[in-house]
Amino acid sequence: MRPVAVIGAGMTKFGRSEWPLLKLMNVASLAALRDANLGDVKVDGVVVANMGAARLNKQTALASALADSLNLLPAMAESVENGPASGASAFKIGYQAIASRMADVVLVTGVEMMRAVNNLEATDFVASLTHPEAEYIYGVTLPALAGMFARLYMERYGITREHLAMVAIKNHANAMKNPYAHIHQTVTMEGILTAPEAVVNNPPIAEPLHMFDCCPVSDGAAAVVLATQEIAEKLGRPIVRVAGIGQATDTHAVHERPDPTELTAVRLAAQRAFAMAGLSAQDIDVAELHDAFTILEIAESEEVGFFKKGEGHKALAAGVTSLVGKLPINPSGGLKAKGHPVGATGVAQLVELTWQLRGEAGERQVESAKNAFACNFGGFGNNVVATVLTREG
Amino acid sequence: MGNVDELEALLRPPELEMPPYPPKVITLASGEKMVVRQIDREEVPTLLEAIYPLLWVERDYYDIVSARLFGELLAYKRYRVKNEYVLVGLIDGVLAGMVNGHLVDEKVGMSYHTMTIRRGLRVGSHLFAAKMEYHMEFLNQEEVLIVAESPIGFRRWMIEYPLQKKYEVPHELGGGPSWVLTKKTYLAAKPRLVSGSRPVPPELLAGAQTIVLPEEETVKAQVLGGKGGGK
Amino acid sequence: MDEKVYGARCKDCGKETYPVHARCPECGSEALEPIEITGEGKVLTYTDLYALPLDYERRYLRLAIVELDSGLRATGQLLDEKPKIGKRVKTTIGVVRQSGDRKIHGLRFVPV
Repeated sequence: MRPVAVIGAGMTKFGRSEWPLLKLMNVASLAALRDANLGDVKVDGVVVANMGAARLNKQTALASALADSLNLLPAMAESVENGPASGASAFKIGYQAIASRMADVVLVTGVEMMRAVNNLEATDFVASLTHPEAEYIYGVTLPALAGMFARLYMERYGITREHLAMVAIKNHANAMKNPYAHIHQTVTMEGILTAPEAVVNNPPIAEPLHMFDCCPVSDGAAAVVLATQEIAEKLGRPIVRVAGIGQATDTHAVHERPDPTELTAVRLAAQRAFAMAGLSAQDIDVAELHDAFTILEIAESEEVGFFKKGEGHKALAAGVTSLVGKLPINPSGGLKAKGHPVGATGVAQLVELTWQLRGEAGERQVESAKNAFACNFGGFGNNVVATVLTREG
Repeated sequence: MGNVDELEALLRPPELEMPPYPPKVITLASGEKMVVRQIDREEVPTLLEAIYPLLWVERDYYDIVSARLFGELLAYKRYRVKNEYVLVGLIDGVLAGMVNGHLVDEKVGMSYHTMTIRRGLRVGSHLFAAKMEYHMEFLNQEEVLIVAESPIGFRRWMIEYPLQKKYEVPHELGGGPSWVLTKKTYLAAKPRLVSGSRPVPPELLAGAQTIVLPEEETVKAQVLGGKGGGK
Repeated sequence: MDEKVYGARCKDCGKETYPVHARCPECGSEALEPIEITGEGKVLTYTDLYALPLDYERRYLRLAIVELDSGLRATGQLLDEKPKIGKRVKTTIGVVRQSGDRKIHGLRFVPV
């Protein structure tokens, strides 16, 4: 397997889009291609990450459409669906194509247009990833699974609603510095938790999770260009190398997991990614974790090895994971405030980390970031892809 | 030919006694304070200016709500609707949203519209609840008739309060079947749906004396949730 | 209505699972027989879900993961005014979702 680098990154603003799906993909892809500055070098493959276009937008075969639209014919092309982990999976497949010498340059674009349908439809669509007989028929949705997980987790480790609010406050503050974020709105502890008005400001969604514990429904696209180390070296800028990728699956029905507070697939995916990279969690300078729900940022920070089990909320409270802390988590604003167009998220995490490693993250810049980590959480933790990126030179 | 003043009096619906809405202040999720107060007729032109650009925004039914609200505001100003009121939400004096309604008789109120300008902070929920609070607690009514243009928005209130069907009463807004919020349901829902404190601290109240309009671009950006999908 | 919920028992190693897998998760055998998911157990965790998907017109839905005395776990609706982690419940079968005219039956847990 030969080394692979990220040589281009770009994304659209997440939020509510008036554009057709193809245009959303085009804009992000063109931004990444421009950034890659390929010149005469050809793109050999296109991988598109998307979960719901067939249902939400009545479109399929997105990668073929994109390859044509961008004049990349006759490049290889396919779409990848791995629920909310589609982005990192598409990245992994692009990586594999280059590492195995089947391609030299691959464009990976993640896209989702969730606001094409109303909220009820969008909720139901995401709920389609739950177990059809053992979960879906009961009205179980992803927030419901997160709510049940949160209740148990909070009780076992002494996490309070205040800790969850800290995640939201931090990520909203970070997103204020991210021009691509869906939500540009500061929130305060008073406004979302302690004031009497909080009961209206922050209503329950799936108790104990409330509105500000859950990410928004967003449209958006993000893209990266992957290439060989050789091509990367010619570009005269710091090389962002794909150091490791790890993936693991877990039970479909959440109730079948031996310990329902453990995110085993997160732990295994991270272990595999670190093993491949020859690094440990302690080597990471900046991370993007999948905070579809605030509780998940805390839980994942422990499972991937940044903090001991049950200590994640303490690190959060101590400011360790803030933008100016020792290990900033979700400098982009996370899914919570940057937004979560499902298929685009995994790629957007890696776009942010690429910028961080290159020193191009503007006001969100984490000082001297050399090793970066992303966790993309599919299903409710039954399919997780972890990625480690390293800056060279 | 009759006296113009006499004709004017005939064209104005008879007015019931209507105590004013006492202003309150609400702490929003952002930590900002929103003053909720009633307007008087002189402030109508300012509100018309605010909603004018929304008359052609199809998304989320802003066009029909703006159009009907525009007419209702003018009708209020020109004394052509019985006992109409308009409440506004102001953040640092800047318009965040408005609601209106009127009295059918002593016991029955009718909700007209809810328009949110500043999105993402549940301004609409706060203002709708303020309307219900006005009818039930300050105007001493027994029930409020409600209908809406947006099915998704309406479904939320229908389920949240909850509202009851009163299909036999055609709602003024188009004649469709009405739903009703009863005093009993209002009081039960109050702890989780109505909030804010009184009196409003003097400096906040002073800052809410004049309605300041947000920039038109800001209004459009808020209402549309961001221009297009790009940067 | 005699609608039941079924898990599986492996005829080779005896392992019971719910939901049903194509092969026994313990020994890999495809020799599986249906077993009824029924009985008493305790609430492992629960949530009140307010943001409901299609097909539901209520303010919230109470859902739970229950661990039955048999050791098997199941997800279902919880009909209990005072839910608590660890509280004893038992399974009943009822309509859990209505999609248009189609009534779907499943597990509804009630306090013992």
